[in-house]
Amino acid sequence: MPLLGVVVLSAAIASLSLGAVDVPLREVGAVVTGRLGLSWLGEPADQAVAVVWNIRMPRLLLGVTVGAGLAACGVALQGLLRNDLADPHLLGIGPGAAIGAAIGAGAGGIPGAIAGGVAAGVLTSFILRRFRRRLSIDPTRIILSGVALGAALSAWVGFIVTASDRSVVPPMEFWLLGSLSGATWRAFGTTAVMVGAGLLALLMMRRLLDLLVTGDQQARHLGVDVELVSTVLLIVVGAVVGATVGAVGVVAFVGLLVPFLIRRLVGPRHGHLLAGAALAGAGLVLVSDLVARLSLEPVEIPVGLVTSAVGGPVFLWLLARRRDV
Amino acid sequence: MSDPLVSATGIGYSVDGAVLLGGIDITVARGELVGVLGPNGAGKSTLIRVLAGDLLPTTGTVVISGLEVARATPGELALLRSVYGYPTPVDVPFTGRAIVEMGRYPHRLREDNTAEIDRTMVSDAMDRTATTRFANRAFATLSSGERARILLARMLAQDAEIILMDEPTANLDVGHGEHILSEARRLADDGRAVLSVFHDLNEAARYADRMLLLDRGGLRIEGRPREVLSGDTLSEVYGQALRVVDHPFLDCPLVLVGG
Repeated sequence: MPLLGVVVLSAAIASLSLGAVDVPLREVGAVVTGRLGLSWLGEPADQAVAVVWNIRMPRLLLGVTVGAGLAACGVALQGLLRNDLADPHLLGIGPGAAIGAAIGAGAGGIPGAIAGGVAAGVLTSFILRRFRRRLSIDPTRIILSGVALGAALSAWVGFIVTASDRSVVPPMEFWLLGSLSGATWRAFGTTAVMVGAGLLALLMMRRLLDLLVTGDQQARHLGVDVELVSTVLLIVVGAVVGATVGAVGVVAFVGLLVPFLIRRLVGPRHGHLLAGAALAGAGLVLVSDLVARLSLEPVEIPVGLVTSAVGGPVFLWLLARRRDV
Repeated sequence: MSDPLVSATGIGYSVDGAVLLGGIDITVARGELVGVLGPNGAGKSTLIRVLAGDLLPTTGTVVISGLEVARATPGELALLRSVYGYPTPVDVPFTGRAIVEMGRYPHRLREDNTAEIDRTMVSDAMDRTATTRFANRAFATLSSGERARILLARMLAQDAEIILMDEPTANLDVGHGEHILSEARRLADDGRAVLSVFHDLNEAARYADRMLLLDRGGLRIEGRPREVLSGDTLSEVYGQALRVVDHPFLDCPLVLVGG
């Protein structure tokens, strides 16, 4: 875990410094300390302030927020569905949220996109709630159903974006592959409130998630109101995923990759899993965004392509390892 | 005798017109181990699920420790009764101790509960069931007998006054089976109310104070083991020639297959 912290911090510093314009570390330090009212690293250049503070800092913080939120939601969904293949985007919540976010973006810019994403994310998770009861015996089927749902919902994102005003609504590529390039302080602030509240709610439900993993019936006998808890969990997951989609589009596989890695580090308890996943998720999105920005410089590739390039093979491997497929 | 801890009146359960349980009265008092018997399809599992609050009865009411089950929350029920013998997913990743600690979950909101009490209850439960040495092993890696003992320890940690068991010895070897039944006997002797569904008539004969024989959703006969276990009734209910004799060295009846 301390090592993970170091990786996340290094990635954060690198993402402030590197890019189309490289800003030396000392200058990055001057900007950040200057903003905190300190001047012991000297007065930074105006250009450095513009690049580091107005462009890269909100992008960094938004990446951290999105990564932490998606990874924690992956942990929660995997606990609820008792299935380590569950990922909010693979199950269709992301594409569903993107429909609402694209409509919201047309109506009210970034805040509209986030509000629309939250609403549509929650609605899509309720479709999954109906799946859970009927399909919970067969964990692979629920994933297949989610993938089919996601494909159908992605198609609708395409229809809506094509029919919308291109000057206000970002293109389909943004919604379905994700990008942090439009990050602003405002987008970060709104997303952070939703994700922060969601993470807190999930952490408060950590023991309930532990109990759910031992089976619905067992959890109920130990005093868990399983229906109520499932509903609350799905609302929280839908809202958090929806907020991230509204801000940066669908960044796939973060909710699958991170819990998979973190489980091996911290064990099965959800208190540790959620905290560890939030940290690792932040790191994964930061590193992926660095790769997205720097690999084909000066052209940026969508960050979701980077996470999918890694996540897809891991998903296949997890699928092949299951005995019930 | 004080009021029974479990008191069910006229409980019935029907689904799609099929009567799985038809208006049964049951009481379980403190200190009693009541055995429920009957052939497959007699309604034993339905009965225990209704008593546990998993199924809402279509007729009648269940009252446990003065609380009507249909109106109680899962949290309230978990402080009053524990349920043993339901399947768990086999791939549960938690350690043995983590599973036993879950038995303390219902107590988290009680003002008189402390982390110290939780720890003591968990350790005592694991000592009693000889599971301390599996404390740090993953539940999924344990044998079915070891898993059964961990779940028994979880039940002890839950510390409920009413204990409902559904075929507690299913899939267990005779050693593990006897361990679980003697623990059930001890819990009853400590003043708790235990009701258990039995698959094996002789296990019931050895451990139960009182028996209920179910047949096609109805209560066929109720009483002490010597009253309920009579060759003629049993043979008719089970559709198999059975004979009841005195156990050669224990003070209970012994059921033998054959005429």
